Amino acid sequence: MNTLRDKYCIVGVGETEYSRSSRRTTRAMAVEAIRKAILDAGLKAADVDGMLDYQGGDSTLANSVASDLGIRFNFYMDVMGGGSSTEALVGLAMGAIEAGMCNTVAIYRSMNGYSEFRIGGTGARAAQPVRGLDLAQVPYGMRSAGQNFAPTFMRHMYEYGTTSEQVAHVRVAHSKHASQNPKALLKERVTVQDVLNSRWIVKPLHLLDCCLETDNATCIIVTSTERARNLKHRPAYIMGVAGRVSKPRLDFHWAHGPISRVAGYYAKDIVFPQAGITPEDVDVTGSYDAFTFTTMLQLEEYGFCKKGEGGAYVSSGIIELGGKRPNNTSGSHLCEGYTHGMSMVIENVRQLRGTVDDYCPRATDGVHTYDYSPGHCRQVKDVEITMNLGWAMPATGSALIMRR
Amino acid sequence: MPQPVQYRGMALIVPDNDSEWKEFYEHARAHRLVVRKCNACGLMRYPPTHACPWCMDLGWTWQEVSGRGTIYSYEIVAHAIQPGFKALTPYAVVLIELDEQRGKPTADEALRVIANLVQPDFTPEPEANVAIGKRVRVVFQDLADHMALPQFTLSEEPAPGRLWRLPG
Ligand SMILES: [Zn+2]
Repeated sequence: MNTLRDKYCIVGVGETEYSRSSRRTTRAMAVEAIRKAILDAGLKAADVDGMLDYQGGDSTLANSVASDLGIRFNFYMDVMGGGSSTEALVGLAMGAIEAGMCNTVAIYRSMNGYSEFRIGGTGARAAQPVRGLDLAQVPYGMRSAGQNFAPTFMRHMYEYGTTSEQVAHVRVAHSKHASQNPKALLKERVTVQDVLNSRWIVKPLHLLDCCLETDNATCIIVTSTERARNLKHRPAYIMGVAGRVSKPRLDFHWAHGPISRVAGYYAKDIVFPQAGITPEDVDVTGSYDAFTFTTMLQLEEYGFCKKGEGGAYVSSGIIELGGKRPNNTSGSHLCEGYTHGMSMVIENVRQLRGTVDDYCPRATDGVHTYDYSPGHCRQVKDVEITMNLGWAMPATGSALIMRR
Repeated sequence: MPQPVQYRGMALIVPDNDSEWKEFYEHARAHRLVVRKCNACGLMRYPPTHACPWCMDLGWTWQEVSGRGTIYSYEIVAHAIQPGFKALTPYAVVLIELDEQRGKPTADEALRVIANLVQPDFTPEPEANVAIGKRVRVVFQDLADHMALPQFTLSEEPAPGRLWRLPG
């Protein structure tokens, strides 16, 4: 297989506050996140000559933010997309550098996902006229992400006996992780019963099965391993990347079952051979948690357990800090805040560096207590390999494997 | 279709040049459920598209189907997003597998349609009656002179296989 394994790295990461009221533009947030990532990498604005961003008509394009920062481009593109775009754009950045188009690419996502454009389909999005393919679903009161995904989750429960209790453990684990994260919007640990007692949104999803709409910007910086050698941090080497991989009949994926299957079914055969590893080799996962179910479905589809055993896997303790393979150690979309996936890549870069920003006093120097009781540490010991599993919808996903 | 059709607070827009949906809704208004059938390989597809996903042929004709099928999956919306649906909660959105072309051309493929599961007056079927495996038939909710929305209602037929609904 043709692979660029270990030839490219993520060398810088940056993010703004996770809030529900940013009181500023996506341009202002993007500029802050990109600047932080550049400084985190030990680079200057002039060293960044490429930029990629993704958005859904809800953000500021690269031309403005680059001008603010004094960046001149050799390459840039603005891409339509939400979840699963981060990993795909990492691959495109590698390709642009490999083609000799540019040297270093900043990838960002900036969204007022709560105060301006709510992803849940409420507010401005709910008032949009219905036309084209939307006519197949929206007139039936099926518009939000949860409403679009719920029949997939329900069918999984029917086919495999997956229970609400099992998937509630995803929220339990991520809330435990968020209790170690000063940035997290929701730091309170919850129980399985808390999830089951929360009100129904769209069955089989309770309120606590759903993520948090959030105002935030995130940025990562991709460059060649050669360029990475003289930079500030230990680079996160990219072993493999796949994205945005889709199921057949993407316009209406219900037509091509099994509908309990998700895009990872196809992506895994791209990303694992590139990296030359198996799921057993992965120390930390970042399985996209738009909902508890999305984390479970992807872990299962990528082979961290057998197909149909995702419920047992996520309720076994494996995915919690202190478990064999923790998932989303920041608390992520369910508890930290919703960013369309980039925050999960940032978290894994920090895990690989050993500098996760938890409550340990010398965390940024890489000194951790590994005390996983509330309000302390979320660094995993001796992380060698991480994997991100990006989710757009049941029929589209991406994956990224990194090593230290 | 000259103006948007207003339905539950939504503007449904099917312009005259809508080469996917315009005729579909006109057939629905005559209370016919139609799908596109490939002139070359004979396979049917939904939603309306312009090439056959199996043989890429551009030729097709509208084909009426029986409108009978089985609930393949569902959801119950408790918290409505669209203002016009708030008064209807909890309502069922169902994924119907039509009787025609089940398991063809491969085992996991079928003609599947999203709709609401409704009572004769088009109000939501009570949640307790919604289950995977139940038999259904199409009904048409007339919205305008040129447009009706296909919906599904429970049929009298016994369920051929396992019935399942979310516990609790
Ligand atoms: Zn054909």
